[in-house]
Amino acid sequence: MTSTESAAARATGRTTTTAADELSATDELTAAEAPGEVATVTTDRGQATGLGPLGWLRWGWRQLTSMRTALILLFLLALASVPGSVLPQQGIDPAAVTQYYQSHPALAPILNRLSLFNVFAAPWFAAIYLLLFTSLAGCVLPRTVRLVGSARQQPPRAPTNLARLPESASYVTAVSPATALERSAGLLRGRRFRISEGEGWVSAEKGYLREAGNLLFHVALLALLFSVGLGGIFGYKANRLLIVGQGFADTPTALDVFRPGRLVGPGDLAPFSINLHGFTARYVTSGPQFDQPLFYDANLSYQAQPGAPVRHYQLEVNHPLVVDGVSVYLIGHGYAPIFKVTDGTGRVRWDGPVAFIPVDQTTLTSEGVIKVPDAKPGQLGFAGVFLPSAVDEGGRLESAFPEALNPRVSLVGFTGNLGMNSGQAQSVYQLDTTGLKELPMKPRPLAAGQSIKLPDGLGTVSYLGYQQWISLAITYDPGQLPALASAMAALAGLILSFLVRRRRVFVRAIAAADGSTRVTLGGLARSDAAGGFETEFATLAGLLRTELATGGVTTPEGEPGIVAAARSVAGADDAAARTGSAADDCAGVSNTASTMDESPRASTAGGSGGSSPLASTEGE
Amino acid sequence: MYRAAASRRPLLLAAVAVAAVLAVTGCDGGAIGADTPVSSGQSFVSHSYESTFYQAGHRPLAPIVSGLTVAGKHLSLAAYRGDTIVLNFWGSWCAPCRAEAPALGQLARQLESRGVRFVGVDIRDEPDSALAFMQQFNVDYPSISDPSDEIALEFRNTVPPADIPTTLVIDRDGRIADRIFGASSYSELLSVIDQVIGRQA
Repeated sequence: MTSTESAAARATGRTTTTAADELSATDELTAAEAPGEVATVTTDRGQATGLGPLGWLRWGWRQLTSMRTALILLFLLALASVPGSVLPQQGIDPAAVTQYYQSHPALAPILNRLSLFNVFAAPWFAAIYLLLFTSLAGCVLPRTVRLVGSARQQPPRAPTNLARLPESASYVTAVSPATALERSAGLLRGRRFRISEGEGWVSAEKGYLREAGNLLFHVALLALLFSVGLGGIFGYKANRLLIVGQGFADTPTALDVFRPGRLVGPGDLAPFSINLHGFTARYVTSGPQFDQPLFYDANLSYQAQPGAPVRHYQLEVNHPLVVDGVSVYLIGHGYAPIFKVTDGTGRVRWDGPVAFIPVDQTTLTSEGVIKVPDAKPGQLGFAGVFLPSAVDEGGRLESAFPEALNPRVSLVGFTGNLGMNSGQAQSVYQLDTTGLKELPMKPRPLAAGQSIKLPDGLGTVSYLGYQQWISLAITYDPGQLPALASAMAALAGLILSFLVRRRRVFVRAIAAADGSTRVTLGGLARSDAAGGFETEFATLAGLLRTELATGGVTTPEGEPGIVAAARSVAGADDAAARTGSAADDCAGVSNTASTMDESPRASTAGGSGGSSPLASTEGE
Repeated sequence: MYRAAASRRPLLLAAVAVAAVLAVTGCDGGAIGADTPVSSGQSFVSHSYESTFYQAGHRPLAPIVSGLTVAGKHLSLAAYRGDTIVLNFWGSWCAPCRAEAPALGQLARQLESRGVRFVGVDIRDEPDSALAFMQQFNVDYPSISDPSDEIALEFRNTVPPADIPTTLVIDRDGRIADRIFGASSYSELLSVIDQVIGRQA
């Protein structure tokens, strides 16, 4: 059973002395994630009976914190957000929810009970999110402790038989074993290996950054979740439509749509104010891209707070104005025809621009309403269509281009009850015609300066010209930068943990009978990440050879006083049993060959017993 | 912004897990709103009447705002020092404001003798339309025109209006004693004012 095996590995993992054991201990992290791990609870205590309450708790915790559960929860979270985009949401468009209630009177209350109109505040949504957070935290925190422990670990004792390791090389040198080990340690230390030394051996380990990368990734993941939370609590989003020549301040009553974070009060908004002085939109006038926008440019001035200096800014798409950490984006534009409405008594009841909303984005044909609730003798309402570039299409006027080249407005007039005095809030962009009577007016499109005299002495409406408006998205998200930073950190951590391998190198040196010293170098990469260790080991082996050759150890012939030999060669010389039995299961055969290639001359010399001249010149 | 975040940091630390949940609610469907910036327009959902009374000693000092009235005259709250002020944020386009306007006009006339002065702040309005509104509902008290929300912004560190209409009752010491969100009826507003005047002795 894999579970018992992993339990065994766990039990020995902390005290392993052999590299082979360490290999399995390396797998401990992954093994701990295996779902079968559960049974450890019983096997640990040798009980054949069921789990106790504590056991069940541990079991539950292990399940919750397993990677599988986290992935399932992540998927559930995505799934749970689907109704939020399919059904109208209370927080985003309450009017649509009301409408849904009217069209589905039976279904709507049930959906409401399931919080489906407020998905992101629903208890079940919170449950998923909390569980995911707990799962991740429960996975990452203990792992953090383990990773820290693993990162601080000293290299283990060198295995007895280094030739069995995937990578190995051996040398015969004239320097004493102690000196050989000392130089090996020096070399490895110089290559930033962590060293531990013992009687006749040196062991070294490198690549602790892998653990650090792993740790960084997990912690950054938590930080990312947290940052997103930060934005939801202290951030806010708002929209505002602004007509050229007008201004507004960042305060709730001035915002068309205001969605504050949980702890954002009306007084917490950045107190900037913006005035719009002009807006320019340019479009492609010919070719296949005809009537596509070229650029938008809003000329505005702003104050960071009352009394602060007034600054100018050219606001463009994707080039937000940032005030006090709050970003103001240009997200839309349109036309606001200017009307003057005089009632039956001769008093002017409206004189100004009215924002019309585009119904066709390519031609900017726009619709809007004018409400004049205080007109006398009767309330007046108008529904209008604005055509920026009016052309006659077979007796029907249409807009042919988004720019205001030939602006025309056509109006339909109403009188009666606008329904505003009852106190029921209504949109300024919609006319509720239930209490209204359509006026018999000629649907004559108006050019700037033209008026219509209303029947029954109700007054006059004039179209004076047009103004433009822009719509602004105001967002404050204090979690944005931390989120970016943690996402980048997570990526960096991931890359580190993929690229960095933990690898160990061992050196053993023993005095041979002939007075020379036999040095064995063994190496192993602890993770199965992309290769490269072979090359590194070969380099190390070469360096060690040079290292052992220096220090006045030269042959009379002036040859380097060292012979490096591939294991197979050395093995034949030394103990046949050592290599003979291990040759098959060692993956390092081809690698040792490469070590051999690097020093063909030396290896042949070593093989033919060239160690004797070395021994004779041992001069230390 | 940053001030608010800083003062609430302990709260944040205390509620790490809860924070995570709230997070999602805050980062929800922003895209939907952004795509249709103007679809809901001035969609001030008429909250039901909500009054918050501030006990003496816990009343924020009201800023002494001033500006041009809808009728074009200069007006400063400083002129009403020592009086109880009822400050009403309204707009002629705002249906709930229209519903409460007759009661406000009437109370303004009745309570003048008791040292209560009414002042309006006309938000995002067109002057002709605002004047027509005042005439229509017999609103005789002056209103400061606030097309760019400067007056509303002045209240950001006290009790900012978060809804239209918002009515603030400022006591004789110039401190905000009550805040009402939404349209108030004659009796609702009268009882609030009575409470403010009564407790002042």
